[in-house]
Amino acid sequence: MAEKAFLFDSTRCTACRGCQAACKQWNEYDEEIPTVENGVDARNRGSYENPPELSPTTWLRMKFTEVERDGKVDWFFTRMACMHCAKASCENVCPTGAISHLEDGFVLIDQQWCIGCGYCVQACPYHVPHKDEHTGTARKCTSCVDRRNAGYEPACVKACPPDALLYDDRDKLLALARQRVQGLRAAGNDRANLYGDTELGGLNVLYILEDDPEIYGLPAEPVLATRNAVGQWLSGVLTAGLITALPFWFLFKRKRELESTGGGAR
Amino acid sequence: MTWSAPIWIYLWLAGMAGGAFVAGFLASRFSGQGQKPLLPMATVVGIPLAVLGVLLLIVDLGRPEWFWHLMTQFKALSPMSMGTWILIAWVMIAFVLVVMWWLDSRVEEQVASLMKRLEGLLAAVNALLSVGLISYTGVLLSVSSQSLWAGTVLLPALFVASAVSTGVAMLVITALAVNWATREGSSFRVSGHTVAMLAEADAIVILIELAVLIGFVIWLVISGATDALGVLFTGAMAAPTWIGVVLLALLIPLGLDMAARGKPLEGGVVRTVLMSSFCVIVGGLILRWVITIGGQM
Repeated sequence: MAEKAFLFDSTRCTACRGCQAACKQWNEYDEEIPTVENGVDARNRGSYENPPELSPTTWLRMKFTEVERDGKVDWFFTRMACMHCAKASCENVCPTGAISHLEDGFVLIDQQWCIGCGYCVQACPYHVPHKDEHTGTARKCTSCVDRRNAGYEPACVKACPPDALLYDDRDKLLALARQRVQGLRAAGNDRANLYGDTELGGLNVLYILEDDPEIYGLPAEPVLATRNAVGQWLSGVLTAGLITALPFWFLFKRKRELESTGGGAR
Repeated sequence: MTWSAPIWIYLWLAGMAGGAFVAGFLASRFSGQGQKPLLPMATVVGIPLAVLGVLLLIVDLGRPEWFWHLMTQFKALSPMSMGTWILIAWVMIAFVLVVMWWLDSRVEEQVASLMKRLEGLLAAVNALLSVGLISYTGVLLSVSSQSLWAGTVLLPALFVASAVSTGVAMLVITALAVNWATREGSSFRVSGHTVAMLAEADAIVILIELAVLIGFVIWLVISGATDALGVLFTGAMAAPTWIGVVLLALLIPLGLDMAARGKPLEGGVVRTVLMSSFCVIVGGLILRWVITIGGQM
């Protein structure tokens, strides 16, 4: 099966948040309006962005970033949802194997197998999965695997009026994205870049950005949670085996020697 | 917050159980037969601590009734998967050891000598598992994307040092309690001299823990994770960090152990050693709390 992907073109996005609404609607979370009463911090934070974070019931949100430059305000929009990383931290740390890659490259949490330990929540470099207190499981974007299996586009893509969001074979989208970035650069935007091609082994959500990833709230160099697992284990084992063992060796061994040579205890 | 009280209490309990076993094992091995009651003591007290920790973990799951899904996987990359297996093996071997120690005096001599060798082997295996267990309590957090936990490789070292320190403190308290409750000459008793040495060993481990904590802070500052560090030392968790970790877990017991050093274990010295051990244990709990919660802020 060909590898599939999403492409988000920030130059086309109008921030209508149709994708955000469609995601909630398709996944039947539309009743959970982000209000203070529903436990979501919906206060005015000086931004049109809402809700402030992804949650167990918000799997996609548009992130708005206002940047002041030379007295002017630049407004950036980003699609924040599961990146469907090729090297997925969540999948690596999941102790039950509930998180896995589909054949087409998307990452899915099996809701019939997840035990709700919360490890993926801690491990995701994009802070995507959240533990749902109602289902007891970790939840996130499913890539609309149910719709796609039935031959439909993902809900967010279907809803996007300016075609800022596309769904297709990853190869095709990658070629298209490169072409568009080249076009932007040719038109004078030196900062235009493609995000997602190589990050974490290649994301299955590609981004055409007009500025540096950090401005959009995307880590420039996301790291795999398990990248240093061996070093972390060694840190613990060496401390236990060598350093903390020393005082015992020093004290108890010496006492034994003193006793065996007739020196007696101190 | 995804990981709350059950998790940090569990990390503390598992650390204490594993730390006490490591300490009991090392003290027995290095000193020959002299400290015989120490390892059984560590094991008997460690088992309920570890089992209680496991129960807390299961209760904290979103789907506790599906905890057995953990036992269908063996994933070397997932610290939680490895930790599950280490814990299961540790509790089982510890239980077998307790049964064998109980049987020692109740079987024929030939069988007993065979059992002794098996006990030695199982104790060594469980000491290795204990090292894995106490390391895992730190690795669980450090294999993540939270900068306070993953920003250095010193979190497992810090938790290991604290685990051994709290484990020794628990051994000291248990030994003093057993000595208080049993008559002179009982085989369960631990000599006052051994208790004093345990307290001295704990002081050195606390020094190591202090050094690791300083290294942890410096590393995070250099790597630019000052926001994460700020939560601990100047932000929301500052009071428990300074009072609970720096004072209660480290400086106060260090001072108390120094004060008791070299003095015969009686009267006020016993109280000093006891006080020091209580501080270490409570401080160890606060350390798990501030790191677990602070890392998610």
